[in-house]
Amino acid sequence: MRTAVLLGFRLRQEVLEWSGAWWFLLTLVVQAVVAPLIGLFVWSAVSPDDPAIGRYYTAVILVTLMTESFEQHTFSERIYNGTLSHELLRPQPVVIGVIGMNLAIRAWLTVLGAPIVLLTGIALQVGFDWWSVLRSTPYLVLAAVLVFLWTFLLSLTAFWTDRVHAVVGFGSQLVFLFGGTAAPIALLPDGLRRVAEVLPFYGMIGLPAEIAAGTRAGGSLLYQLAWVVLLVGVVAVLWRAGVRRYTAVGS
Amino acid sequence: MSLRRSLAFRVNLVFDVLLAFTGLGTAIAAVLIVFSRADSLAGWSKAEFLVLIGTYQLITGLRTTFIDPNLAWFPESGIRSGKLDGYLLQPASSLFLSSLSQSSPLQLIQVVLGVGVLSWGIGVADRPPSAGGVVSWLVLVVAGTVVTWALSVLLASLAFWAPKLQLDVFYHSAWQLGRYPTDVFARPLRVLLTYVFPMALIASVPSSALLHGAQPSTILAGITAAAGTGALAFLTWQAGLRRYTGATS
Repeated sequence: MRTAVLLGFRLRQEVLEWSGAWWFLLTLVVQAVVAPLIGLFVWSAVSPDDPAIGRYYTAVILVTLMTESFEQHTFSERIYNGTLSHELLRPQPVVIGVIGMNLAIRAWLTVLGAPIVLLTGIALQVGFDWWSVLRSTPYLVLAAVLVFLWTFLLSLTAFWTDRVHAVVGFGSQLVFLFGGTAAPIALLPDGLRRVAEVLPFYGMIGLPAEIAAGTRAGGSLLYQLAWVVLLVGVVAVLWRAGVRRYTAVGS
Repeated sequence: MSLRRSLAFRVNLVFDVLLAFTGLGTAIAAVLIVFSRADSLAGWSKAEFLVLIGTYQLITGLRTTFIDPNLAWFPESGIRSGKLDGYLLQPASSLFLSSLSQSSPLQLIQVVLGVGVLSWGIGVADRPPSAGGVVSWLVLVVAGTVVTWALSVLLASLAFWAPKLQLDVFYHSAWQLGRYPTDVFARPLRVLLTYVFPMALIASVPSSALLHGAQPSTILAGITAAAGTGALAFLTWQAGLRRYTGATS
């Protein structure tokens, strides 16, 4: 309960702080939507008569906006400049601050990116089955958790290397390729599709988008949950090892 | 000096090289997935796509080697840090010092990889490029590089009028659009990428010229675009400097 209250306070504080950077947030929206938009144009050119492509990629744009994570900037930079020490001294888990900022940025990206999603939907005349959209909610929540855990996990490497942006960049490339942004998973060659369906990246973007678009009737929440549990475990181990290695400025 | 500085951090070197490989590998994989389902995309064959990716990678490599180390995040790294003030005191062109004095030689790996993909594309093309095609490609690549430099300078010059405006993320996102032929995109975006933010000139136009030869009018348009954007960048920089009063004032 106390953790939820603290998280609520932090979220409110971060939402207000980020409200002053709306112009920068808009550039982040553009960054988030470019890859799905390219995917949309490319696959629409391949299958111009398939309305599912437009529906799927409109959903991908929304899922991407709602699950974007930037811990390599918001968290790793605190390791590099030493201000993580301030967070470690607070009588609350450090991750509350990280999650608070993550949710605040996602909220802003969703609000600012909503017109793009709407315009794309109108331009392509896509019609969503609202029952499918509703059914995708738990998958979307787990996708948001997965993306956060994946990005946070890679950002923790900042305890060991100063090339965290390269590490997270590599992680993003995997999400792009196997997550359903470069191509809907069903359109991947057989071998690649089988690999993609097992890896966690499909659960981050493609699965909730497919369910919202109605191209997949149901998916396995267990598949997403299993990856959440595994990633939480790895994050906890890395966090402990990282904090032991961390040396505050002046010590 | 820049090369020495880069080689001093060997683990970073490994990271940069690996990221260059995986980044290009991801881009190629995304295109190969498309060609596992279709023989051509918006009229472009697989070979043409590979030539386009190679050309795009080459110019991106030149940008990240010679331009980005100077002009990326310019309001912060160039102005607020006081670096521009230092350049203004030196007996050389402040535009040259601000935009080209530093480099990241390790990023040249992207150029090498780009040339590799370009050769792959030429190798699998139905017929090799003609001598005219190669010359056209060279001229258009030089023009594309000049346009790239000019766009970066124009973006950096915005800092003289709106120092809090950070458009680097936007610029690098829009840059991604150059990896695909403009024919793929819807008409309004195609017009935008040809005449307003000329990404077509970065990869689409040179790649098409290499494999199919170029009309003299295309080459002339490329040279005109390079001269026009270059002149615009120079004039904007000069106008910005007249407004500029120092990092701390």
